[in-house]
Amino acid sequence: MSPFFFWTASALMLVFGAAVIINRNPVASALSLVVSFLGLAALFMSLDAFFLGIIQVLVYAGAVMVLFLFIIMLLDLRAEERRRINFVAFAGGAAVAVIFFGQLYLVIGHLHQAKLPFAPLAPMQVDDVHRIGLLLFGSYNLPFQIIGVLILVATIGVIVLSKRELH
Amino acid sequence: MSYLELLRLAAPEAIVVLTAFVVLTIGLVTGRREAGDTPAATAGLGALVAALGLAIAAATIVRLPGHATLFHGMLVVSPLNSLFQVIVLVLAFFTVILARGERLLPNKGEYLAMILLATVGLMLLIGSEELLMIFIGLELTGLSLYVMTAFDKASQTSAEAGLKYFLFGSMASAFTLFGLSLIYGFTGTTSLAAIGPRLAEQALPPLLFVGIVMTLIGFLFKIAAAPFHLWAPDAYQGAPVSTAGFIASGSKVASFIVLGKILLIGFGPVSGSADWHGLIAGWTPILAVLSALSILIGNLVALVQKNVRRLLAYSAVAHGGYTLLGLIAGGRAGFSATLFYTTIYAVTLVGAFGVVGFVRRENGGDDLADFAGLRARSPLLAGCMAIFLLSLAGLPPLAGFFGKFYLFSTALRAGANHGLLWLVALALFGSLISLYYYLIVLKVIFLDENAQATPAVARYDFEMRADYLPKMTLLVLAGAVLLLGIIPGTLVARILASFG
Repeated sequence: MSPFFFWTASALMLVFGAAVIINRNPVASALSLVVSFLGLAALFMSLDAFFLGIIQVLVYAGAVMVLFLFIIMLLDLRAEERRRINFVAFAGGAAVAVIFFGQLYLVIGHLHQAKLPFAPLAPMQVDDVHRIGLLLFGSYNLPFQIIGVLILVATIGVIVLSKRELH
Repeated sequence: MSYLELLRLAAPEAIVVLTAFVVLTIGLVTGRREAGDTPAATAGLGALVAALGLAIAAATIVRLPGHATLFHGMLVVSPLNSLFQVIVLVLAFFTVILARGERLLPNKGEYLAMILLATVGLMLLIGSEELLMIFIGLELTGLSLYVMTAFDKASQTSAEAGLKYFLFGSMASAFTLFGLSLIYGFTGTTSLAAIGPRLAEQALPPLLFVGIVMTLIGFLFKIAAAPFHLWAPDAYQGAPVSTAGFIASGSKVASFIVLGKILLIGFGPVSGSADWHGLIAGWTPILAVLSALSILIGNLVALVQKNVRRLLAYSAVAHGGYTLLGLIAGGRAGFSATLFYTTIYAVTLVGAFGVVGFVRRENGGDDLADFAGLRARSPLLAGCMAIFLLSLAGLPPLAGFFGKFYLFSTALRAGANHGLLWLVALALFGSLISLYYYLIVLKVIFLDENAQATPAVARYDFEMRADYLPKMTLLVLAGAVLLLGIIPGTLVARILASFG
């Protein structure tokens, strides 16, 4: 992977990831998340994981986020924009985040491996769709099915909690 | 591996999932009244099917082979795992019965299905010794419990509790996932049994400690240890009573067993030491500090609570602190003391929440004032509550006494020169404080006069014939707490034997 490509894609992800939180307009937030996902897809592709990259674009950036946008547009957008920022809470959260990242930086700075240049990945010329399929139906069969149950729980939960009760 | 083998070993989980489908279908086809309440047929039949499914699953676990491992530990059948899966199923069974006595929730079918699916998550948490599967189990349990917490749509506190629980929970999960990815990056494996040797053979970089600490956050959140406990008071107070009972019992038991396995099997080589004179870096000192913090914060804040459910929540924080003592002591003895204590605690709390549920339904609230004169209205409930609270306080001859005795004595014997004496002394001090606030609740129940007019007095025990089953359940639970206190050896021997 060329370093230039890595830094560009990472910067894209980080900047737009921050934009998701900073933007007061929910639609702008959601669109920033789409761009952040595109950066992630680019990183996957640069690691030769083309299938994962394409799925990332199709499913997350495409289907999920578009659906998300529709839902956001059904809500009252102005309410969020009008909401005032609680500066005490904001400062507290920012302080915790800064301390956490400072600590991470110190730890990683002392790490021997972090100072070495990235070892080039062995070129993998594999049919990754085939491999993922084999894994999902082979040794990762159980988690795969349990995630099915997990999604069922989410579906039931959303319907029950958002349904209007008849009175 | 063959699919048939997978199906055979995962049969208990599969049975519970299928039962959840059946319960959902019952809720769907028996129709709904316009009033929003669940028809009695749905609630009754659904609860019956759910209880039956849980019983069948427990019977299936008993018939599993003694030892088996699938996919490098994703599903492990062992006497220890089977024992605790059965315990979780029993706790879910009691939750289903207590949910029956609850004020009619809308969508009872979906509620019961959520209890069952949460139980599947707990069974997977217990039965797995692989990081990926543990994380999925954690999420499955978490998601079901978030939804259950917010289930009472008529109440604003329920919605608030659900949202808080969800936000805290997803944040903790994110940290855990980050930590797990770091550990995977360093060791190249997700199997707990393989992580231990890899950690032992290489010099430990600081980043690995970051990974371990971040992994711990998700589990400390689940057991509501001190800095991660902020969701607990709201969730215990706002959630439907049976959900609060389940969060405090089943979820806690499963979290402690999986936390113990991760720490003792996976991170065993980096345990360090929390001895007063011989502090060694590792996860033990971290847990010791959090345990001390939990005991102090939980007990001190519980002193000023006016709501019984909030009081139970803060006491849960303190009990989480006590239970961590066993893991800090480490080894087989420490782990079994932790498991014994958390089991006893779970049984007691399901019962206590059962009593709270009854009082709430009659009086419409669960503040201390609502318990005034409970003795006159229902001697049965008052007696059960006395047993549960005194066991929580740790008075002999109840189960809580022996649990604490076993836990504290194990911790005392663990370190060289009684190095953990400082923590045990703190825990004893905490128990002393806790006796005060449990006795306040009992004073209100037994000595205070009922604020309401006298006609309510006769009403209580006689009108509730319909709740025969939940009341019998409370009696059974109180009996269990008493019995486990008199002959604790049976359960302790089982736990010790299951280590094999």
